[in-house]
Amino acid sequence: MSIMDYNGGSVIAMVGKDCVAIASDLRLGNQALGVSSNFQKIFPVTDRIYLGLPGLATDVITLQVYSTKERFRFRVNMYTIKEEREIEPETFAHLVSSTLYEHRFGPYFCEPVMAGLSKTPSGGLKPFIAATDLIGCLNFAKDFVVAGTASEKLFGVAEGLWEPDLEPEDLFETISQTIMNAVDRDAYSGWGCIVHVITKDKVITRTLKGRMD
Amino acid sequence: MSRTPVSLPQQHQFNPYSENGGTILAIAGANFSVIAGDTRQSEGYNIQTRYAPKVFRLTDKAVLATNGFAADGNMFVKKVRQRLEWYRHAHARDMSLHAIARLIQTMLYQRRFFPYYVYNILGGIEDDGSGAVYSFDPVGSYERETCRAAGAASSLVQPFLDNQIYFKNQTAPPGSAHPTHLPLAHVLSLVIDSFTSATERHIEVGDGLEMYVVLAKGSPLQGLDTIHGVTELTNIPGGERMFVIRRSLKRD
Amino acid sequence: MDHFPTNWGRPRNDAVDLYNTFPIHQRPSNVPKDAFSAGIQHTQQPIVTGTSVLAIKFKDGVMMAADNLASYGSLARFRNIQRLCPVGEHTVLGAGGDMGDFQYIQAILDELIIDEFAAGDGHTLGPKEVHNYLSELMYARRSKMNPLWNALLVGGFKDGERFLAFVDLLGTTYSASTLATGYGAHIAQPLLRSAVEGREDTLTEDEARKILEESMRVLFYRDARSLDQYQIATITAKGVDISESRKLETAWSFAEGIRGYGAQTQ
Repeated sequence: MSIMDYNGGSVIAMVGKDCVAIASDLRLGNQALGVSSNFQKIFPVTDRIYLGLPGLATDVITLQVYSTKERFRFRVNMYTIKEEREIEPETFAHLVSSTLYEHRFGPYFCEPVMAGLSKTPSGGLKPFIAATDLIGCLNFAKDFVVAGTASEKLFGVAEGLWEPDLEPEDLFETISQTIMNAVDRDAYSGWGCIVHVITKDKVITRTLKGRMD
Repeated sequence: MSRTPVSLPQQHQFNPYSENGGTILAIAGANFSVIAGDTRQSEGYNIQTRYAPKVFRLTDKAVLATNGFAADGNMFVKKVRQRLEWYRHAHARDMSLHAIARLIQTMLYQRRFFPYYVYNILGGIEDDGSGAVYSFDPVGSYERETCRAAGAASSLVQPFLDNQIYFKNQTAPPGSAHPTHLPLAHVLSLVIDSFTSATERHIEVGDGLEMYVVLAKGSPLQGLDTIHGVTELTNIPGGERMFVIRRSLKRD
Repeated sequence: MDHFPTNWGRPRNDAVDLYNTFPIHQRPSNVPKDAFSAGIQHTQQPIVTGTSVLAIKFKDGVMMAADNLASYGSLARFRNIQRLCPVGEHTVLGAGGDMGDFQYIQAILDELIIDEFAAGDGHTLGPKEVHNYLSELMYARRSKMNPLWNALLVGGFKDGERFLAFVDLLGTTYSASTLATGYGAHIAQPLLRSAVEGREDTLTEDEARKILEESMRVLFYRDARSLDQYQIATITAKGVDISESRKLETAWSFAEGIRGYGAQTQ
């Protein structure tokens, strides 16, 4: 069994019309044994960027929470101080990618998923999603990105349910149905879900009740 | 007592199995059954052929879909058909669906220690006129279900079916309930969507789609006559009717 | 399909005989032996092997091609063997893999054809019957864990119908308008598909021969276990025709300019 599946967990991000959504399950496990039903895998980076980190839980915490050395929070803070402005999602995606690639031969066992709204030259906001593998290979998709132990299931459901230009509430329903039905077929993900829909003026966060088996 | 280790010449064992990709799917309606499969046969990254059927008509009201190791699948279908012919000779009628299901379980379990590496889904019409789907594992565990996906892209398709057929994670509006069976046209469009999605995201799925539809005795066509690419296979008028619908899928 | 017959029916593993120098002989072992192990000998690896067989459908029937080489590991051991053989009046069988097993299969089929003839019932076996017989034979042998180590193509023409199908040591079967075994499945099959698919009913015999010749040439350039001497079988309503051995025209002047693959002075 892969070390990537040791704790379980899955994340998905989707593009909508002038909005993006990112969702994860809430399970933390020790192989087949469920340990927590409230394990955070999605973290706000700025007001307009969210980062999902499925994978080995110890690396999830190391990458996101600790603000020393090369971890994401530290690097985003350094960027903000040096540039005197907030980081853009595209830039953040490359930051994540290069951080992971620095550990090419001894990687963190996480597959980050990013969702955000990026500024356009005309002053508008454009939906942005991206994902990388554990050594930082970037995937900029136009529709949706998935990662984690339920990734195959997420691909299947999302490919069937997603459509272009969904309004925030429709996008919420689509991503919620996608992740709920996907994790229900995955023994290592589930125990409830959390969904964030990022729009130009607010972030809607909802926790979903899920099957507890 | 300790045994002296016996040495055999160090050799690579012959592996009698292979995997040939593809996906199958079946959905039961109130008075019909849909059994579908893609037609690509592959080994590793090689496409062996773009048309190798995995869905087989067994009787006037039973259809079997096989997926896994193609040689085992074809041989298994051959043997099932042989047993069904013997049954016809002995009883002067076709075996009923639930009996075929039990026959398949017995035949699979007989090979418990050298299994047919095949996932089977049997679809058709039960004696009471209801649509039925039976799904099997390679050694014969089986159950009757409303819908089932198997094969290379089963993990992509099954949760989609949970959502769209069983209405999992959906709550019906107050004072109403979700339908237990969907109309044929709706089921067919879900099957096509499932295979289009699987083709998009799985390299072993594609090329062609074959959907068999079995209609119970006396049930209306439910729009089957207007769908494009449909061929009727019915043998005896007045009984169950059988159709096959062929569609192309992406070839990349 | 895998180019190396040695790997057929085995888990994919590059660590074993990466450069196909098989057969590698076992060294004598002095520890106690299983007294009964010699009682049954199963084919565990192919010894003398043939490489690709190609086949396509065309307007009037089926055309097949295979070279005349039987290799012993990396040694070009026999340079004048036939890998295409007629079976009855309507069928040609082409074989890759172990040539010993192939010749054994030929013996079985010869007997089968004689038995059918002796029946004198006016029926003859067509390509469909031969292919089905072979698929049962190959599947039965694999089920006894004692496979016939071959990849076979069966081509034929009977009752106005073309037939072309594949069967291998696992009993796996399939059919298509272009087929190729061994290295040909990687290198020739894409060429054959782009030349033939959708044109099965218009390709002439000459065009079909040209397509196969060009594919055999490409294979000879790239497959180190191939030979520039090959035969072409044509099966039409008129019956079976297997050509005399012919030689491929090749040009190697370009090789002068290649640098970086081995011993060079500059």
